Amino acid sequence: MEGNLNLVGYGLSAIGGAIGVGLVFAAYINGVARQPEAQRVLQPIAFLGLALTEALAILGLVFAFVL
Amino acid sequence: MNETVILAAAEGVNPLVPNIWEILVTLLGFAVLMFIVVKYVVPAFEKTYAERAEAIEGGIAKAEAAQAEASAALDEYKQQLMDARTEANRIREEARAEGAQILADLKEKAAAEAARISEQAQVQIAAERQTAVISLRSEVGILATELAGKIVGESLNDDARAARVVDRFLADLETAAPASQSAGAAN
Amino acid sequence: MLLVLLSVVLISWFFVAAARRGKLVPGKMQFLGEMSYNFVRNSVGKDIIGERDYRPFVPLLFALFFFILVNNLFGSIPLIQLPTTSHVGTAYALAGIVYVTWIVLGIQKHGIGYFKLAVVPSGVPKAILPLVVLIEIISTFLVRPVTHSLRLFATMLAGHLIIMLAAAGSEFLLTQDQLLLKPLGILTLAGGVGMYLFEILIQVLQAYVFTLLTAIYIQGSLAEEH
Repeated sequence: MEGNLNLVGYGLSAIGGAIGVGLVFAAYINGVARQPEAQRVLQPIAFLGLALTEALAILGLVFAFVL
Repeated sequence: MNETVILAAAEGVNPLVPNIWEILVTLLGFAVLMFIVVKYVVPAFEKTYAERAEAIEGGIAKAEAAQAEASAALDEYKQQLMDARTEANRIREEARAEGAQILADLKEKAAAEAARISEQAQVQIAAERQTAVISLRSEVGILATELAGKIVGESLNDDARAARVVDRFLADLETAAPASQSAGAAN
Repeated sequence: MLLVLLSVVLISWFFVAAARRGKLVPGKMQFLGEMSYNFVRNSVGKDIIGERDYRPFVPLLFALFFFILVNNLFGSIPLIQLPTTSHVGTAYALAGIVYVTWIVLGIQKHGIGYFKLAVVPSGVPKAILPLVVLIEIISTFLVRPVTHSLRLFATMLAGHLIIMLAAAGSEFLLTQDQLLLKPLGILTLAGGVGMYLFEILIQVLQAYVFTLLTAIYIQGSLAEEH
């Protein structure tokens, strides 16, 4: 068995980002479903939340390659 | 392609380290694209939008003008209708007044006629009565005298006495007659 | 690298042709061009940057969106099968352009005080302010461009890898002598096709997310408050 343990670590770290992104979009969909006219307000917030949450997963990728 | 990636990974080339030529080509390509977009694409689209907006606004202005015209015409029609209605009302009122006038005239005339006729009739009646009274007075006197003469005999041939008796009798009659006559008129 | 130039030529040709004869009543091509342009202009630019000052950024957003979209979609075109953006240099270059753009914009708008505005949030207790400022500096000026570029690069590379992996795996399993392994090969092939279709969605979505984040960053540096 060959390979790099970093990638296993990255897989683990991606779990957190995945859950976070799921939560962000769940909340966004909830909000829009309750109040469809708020979609324009919520959309940038949702994508900003996506960006911030995904940042952690992407940092994990960086560390997986760098370390 | 996967072989090169796997080979690259195997050779330990970090995929996060960029190739400088890639960056340069991307920057150059993007600069060219940006130039074309700024120079040709966006102005053309914006121009089309502006033209379209103008066309739509022009259409709206035209529609507004047409609407204003239509509402003016409507006002005019309404005004005319109102005028016609007042005119009709006025005419109707006039006609009604005229009719009332005519009716009153006719009534008056009829009343006058009736009064005249009844007066005439009364006069005639009075005259006839007068003649009847006069003729009666003489005739009844003669008849009564004749009758009474026949009844009591020749003793009453004296004219003067007979006339006195008849007069007294008629006077008695007359005093009784107006009462019965007035009772007849009331009936 | 040729693909970058090819994408530039393609986008320029299509949109110049679509926009050149701007008629009031659009034809098919002009309609398609206008729809794409409208999408970037209104639902990305106008909605996020705001009605007041979105106009100057429409070209940037438009060029970014279609540049990334076409370069991503190269990954799904047979025979090319390689998204340009799965090379990290491309992603770095694009994110770098955006990074420079919003920092310059912020300085233009607020002067040098922009950095204070960007990193010092209002309404934070004094005691934890240094910590918050440190976090803000890292997240705004370091993590932001890195994630902005690597999100694009990583999703494209991962999509490319997974399709290639499915293809190679299918090839390997189908050419084995053992009869039992061939159905497995068909299974991986079907999974590969599914991933291929999913990749198209991801490619479009990543172009959209990249442009949307660009708009959000620009809006953030134009806004008065943090």
